[in-house]
Amino acid sequence: MKVTVEPSIFSIVKYDADEIAGVAKEMLTLLGMKSTNLTIEVDETVAMSRVTTTMGDPVHVLAMSSAFENLRKPRTFSADNTKFSLGRGLLRVRDRLTGNFSDAPVDEDLSIVEAATWETYCVGRLSRLGLKVHKQRWHYNFRNRHGFNDATDKHFETIWESDDLTWSQLTEISRHAIA
Amino acid sequence: MRKFFPVEDLARDERFNQATNAERMADTRGTSNTGVIRKARSTNRLTPARPDATDAARSLMHGIMVGEIQALEGAGRTCFDFVTGEEAPFELKLDMARQCWDEARHVEISVKLSEWMGTELGQFVENTVLFAAACSQDPVLRLAGVNRALEGLAIDVFTTMKEFGELAGDPYLAFCEDWMLADEVTHVKMGSVWLRKITENDPERRAKALEFQSVVDKIFSYGGLRSESDESPILLARRFRELAGFSDGELSEIADVSLAALNERREALEKTFATSPA
Amino acid sequence: MADPFKARNPFAPWDRRELPGMFDVEETARRVGHYKWAEMKLFEVLGGWIATVPEIDVKLRLGTHCYKHAWHAELWHNRLPELREMNPERLTCPPNDAMVRFVAALTEPEAPEMTIEKLVGVYRVFIPHFISAYTFHLNNTSQITDGPTSRSIKFILQDEFDDWRDGEMLIQSLLTTPAEVKRASEHQARLEILLIEAGGIAGPGTIGSADVE
Ligand SMILES: [Fe+2]
Ligand SMILES: [Fe+2]
Repeated sequence: MKVTVEPSIFSIVKYDADEIAGVAKEMLTLLGMKSTNLTIEVDETVAMSRVTTTMGDPVHVLAMSSAFENLRKPRTFSADNTKFSLGRGLLRVRDRLTGNFSDAPVDEDLSIVEAATWETYCVGRLSRLGLKVHKQRWHYNFRNRHGFNDATDKHFETIWESDDLTWSQLTEISRHAIA
Repeated sequence: MRKFFPVEDLARDERFNQATNAERMADTRGTSNTGVIRKARSTNRLTPARPDATDAARSLMHGIMVGEIQALEGAGRTCFDFVTGEEAPFELKLDMARQCWDEARHVEISVKLSEWMGTELGQFVENTVLFAAACSQDPVLRLAGVNRALEGLAIDVFTTMKEFGELAGDPYLAFCEDWMLADEVTHVKMGSVWLRKITENDPERRAKALEFQSVVDKIFSYGGLRSESDESPILLARRFRELAGFSDGELSEIADVSLAALNERREALEKTFATSPA
Repeated sequence: MADPFKARNPFAPWDRRELPGMFDVEETARRVGHYKWAEMKLFEVLGGWIATVPEIDVKLRLGTHCYKHAWHAELWHNRLPELREMNPERLTCPPNDAMVRFVAALTEPEAPEMTIEKLVGVYRVFIPHFISAYTFHLNNTSQITDGPTSRSIKFILQDEFDDWRDGEMLIQSLLTTPAEVKRASEHQARLEILLIEAGGIAGPGTIGSADVE
């Protein structure tokens, strides 16, 4: 497990590269991904929460600065938010490594519906791993992408509670949720 | 209790963290169509089609909620800070008290909507610029800065959020924004009516109030939050503003100021990108 | 159907309103002017306190109640010219200096830690005194000649009871230790003493006298 963080010194946000690497290692351990190496690139010029991953060795993680930010105190670091943002990205990586997601588009090409569906699957699992998760936020995101009705809510629960879905199963549930 | 309550002393529970507008403006990071984000977004306007729409809407909703709290506090202070009859007419104070009730309801609505969207109170930093505009020593300036400039902005924001709710099919969001919109139009109108009435024979005071209004508008438009350009997240809702008593000339001026602010922001961003490592 | 031209009594058998009342036009105007002054002071301080209280539920209640008292002040403001007082400002005044001192003491707390004092002043002292002043007026004014004042008082009393309950429940939720109870009752006593000196919201005789003549 090797983790490098770029830049090594931050000038716009008050982050510490070693601290980020430490949190990343903690998450790799929690997710059973000790053999995965990471390069984490933080774009500190953008105040958004987006995290995209590119497969390879090392896996490349591109994080916009707000992904690691304490939103109550702008430009300062939050270990909890970092854990949560990396956790979502790394679970996608773990899914891809199983081979059950080989037909999934690369992160940058995921549609907004696909992204919301996969997020739901990831965050549900993170909550069961003990991370503090505000379920309603992800429920709202799922509804925004699939519709505001009881059927959508049922499909959300199915995905949220699942631990071993494939990409085709995931997209199938999403299709039913929209229909 | 003191007359004139400073913005730094606004009372909040432990969940909230406040930042001044200067602190906000010192944050040079971009959220707009630059670099990698350009690929993900074709427009900066807040619509459900944006990849970050849900989080952007949640953050905006939180901003609305704390703005409503400050609008409530500002209207309340105007009830208290001025001597009735001598410094502020009795009827103006009645309007401000009415506004307190309306803003209290708006806080209630925004809290419920925030819960619905999965946001916790105090989850995001609170910008105190609205209350800062309500600290003027002249009630007319408060009405110009808060009721006409900032509540005018609220009209634009609520219109955007209402459209967002309609497009996403969110049954609560569109419903609630529509109600709040009705109240805000009334508040902007109060500002317009009192500005005209009080400064009827005092062109100097009127000019000062209008200048204050335009400054507040500019400060808040910093970052290109709102303009008639497609790159701006919030559409200037012309029709609502007309209803609230803005003239055509004033509407164009606000649009110009907003566009100028957007351009300024863009330049600042480009500088940030030019100096940061690739 | 009954014959529409048959003579009927103007006062139906269930309408027991009577002509006599304790207040003439002048006295009514005097009282109404004091009510207006007191309601104004109340809505102003409620508005001012909103920014000073950290408890968000209290903040919202103060904002809601601020308007209700402003509306009461407006009702009295509109009533004054109907009582031959063409300059409503003339009678918009406190009954005496003690009342001014009471309002100053009520308004004094500002610190964010003083929510208990703020609420006690309004909901355990001022509003109960409004309720008694208005109840006395309603029960003693002419039920026929002073119909407009009675109608306003009935609307206002409904607000006062609702707001008193809101405020009292907020106070109870904030009083969690014996020391806080003591703080609340001491502040209440301090203000109550000033109001005794003032004789009530409309001055001495606000709620008449219970003494045997
Ligand atoms: Fe509002
Ligand atoms: Fe408003």
